[in-house]
Amino acid sequence: MKTSALTLAACAATALTGPAFADKLDDIIGSGTLRCAVVLDFPPMGSRDSDNNPQGFDVDYCNDLAEALGVEAEIVETTFPERIPALVSGQVDIAVASTSDTLERAKTVGFTIPYYAFENAVVANDGVEISDWEGMKGKTVGATAGTYEAIWLQEKIEEWGEGEFRPYQNQADVFLALSQGQLDVTVSTVEVAEANVASGNFEGIKIVDKAPMVPDYVGLITLREEQGLLNYMNLFINQQVRTGRYAELYAKWVGEGTPADLTIPGVYR
Amino acid sequence: MFNYRFQWRQAWARLPEMLDGAIITMQVAVLSMVIGILLAIALTVFRRSGSRVLSGIATTWVEIARNTPALFQIYMAHFGLAGLGLHLSPYASLLLGITFNNAGYLAENFRGALKAIPDTQTRAGRSLGLSDIQAFRHIVLPQMIRISFPTITNQMVWAVLMTSLGVTVGMNLDLYGVTQDLNALTFRTFELFAMAAVIFYVIVKIIQAGAWLISRRLFRY
Repeated sequence: MKTSALTLAACAATALTGPAFADKLDDIIGSGTLRCAVVLDFPPMGSRDSDNNPQGFDVDYCNDLAEALGVEAEIVETTFPERIPALVSGQVDIAVASTSDTLERAKTVGFTIPYYAFENAVVANDGVEISDWEGMKGKTVGATAGTYEAIWLQEKIEEWGEGEFRPYQNQADVFLALSQGQLDVTVSTVEVAEANVASGNFEGIKIVDKAPMVPDYVGLITLREEQGLLNYMNLFINQQVRTGRYAELYAKWVGEGTPADLTIPGVYR
Repeated sequence: MFNYRFQWRQAWARLPEMLDGAIITMQVAVLSMVIGILLAIALTVFRRSGSRVLSGIATTWVEIARNTPALFQIYMAHFGLAGLGLHLSPYASLLLGITFNNAGYLAENFRGALKAIPDTQTRAGRSLGLSDIQAFRHIVLPQMIRISFPTITNQMVWAVLMTSLGVTVGMNLDLYGVTQDLNALTFRTFELFAMAAVIFYVIVKIIQAGAWLISRRLFRY
């Protein structure tokens, strides 16, 4: 009699504490906080305002997602190389950090459908004679370590067999090196290039040409097995475009013009 | 909770590239130590010279090298000098930064070692007809190196570990730089850095074993 009462109590306790295998989506809703990794030296996607508060396209995107989930957003600053450790060690739930969706990386983390697409510009030091992107051949080039454009540039240097590639740890160092003449040329997203040329923080640099790459589609990332959360975020991205919020954020942070098309003709997704 | 499945095969395939990086790391460390020891001896001589200018230079060097972060020294070697119009490659900047740091620390170690060598030895040498330089070269210097040998070994280990700071100035040839590049490519952060840590550990152990063998050969009484 005593044993069965204990068993009954145990069963009741189990039922009350909820399912044993709550997924990340449940955890977020339950905890009331969505923790997003955002790179904050990557304007206009992520930066800090004059009061040191996080701002930018990615910051707003995280806030929107938190609002949709009915929870508070918490922005956790990371660098590009630190995104994955932050995610895997559970410091953040997702990364809204302009993560390029390569097949190699998708073996490790889970990508959503693209939420943004970058085109890349070739930016050169004023002292360098260069008229188009092919002029990069044989030059000292550099980019932010761990980015799509860095991987592309490194492959190009190997293909050309001349010139030198240098990865720096953040976008600011790349433009500092370019402005000082340590680098001849860099490739960065058009958004970053224009923002940096316009800011006047880096003297003696010019935008030369567009880089002939496939547009750099970027997705939100979370742990690979969190299908429930990925599914939710895919729908969220769709809704952002559908409701016009995507265009609104584009106008707010990037400027005039139409935001990049996130669909690829001739294929389902 | 640590929610991750390790994929060693994927990272293991990158081992040859990482070992190439390890060779560059060793190269930078050895070069920085050889030049660093020579510079440290020069600084030690400067300090003993009695010239206010020379000892001023030596003191400034040692003070900056020992009291600012190595990261700052390497960063200045790259971006600081470039501001003055001197452009160094990431390799040269890293080598310069670590060498500067090594020389500063070693000079201080040498100073400590000199305190253990009685002045009377130099005077005895002088009275036997050796010049000042000869007395330093043949009597003081060998003992100074012997006494500070363990700290030289330590500095060598430190030099190897400091190469990892090269990534801040765009270095991607050394072990840490290569690992960082592969991380960006594959996102296999934990496997790659675990492998890098083991390689660093093995390098340091080899240095310590080598130092032990050398000291046994050279410093027998």
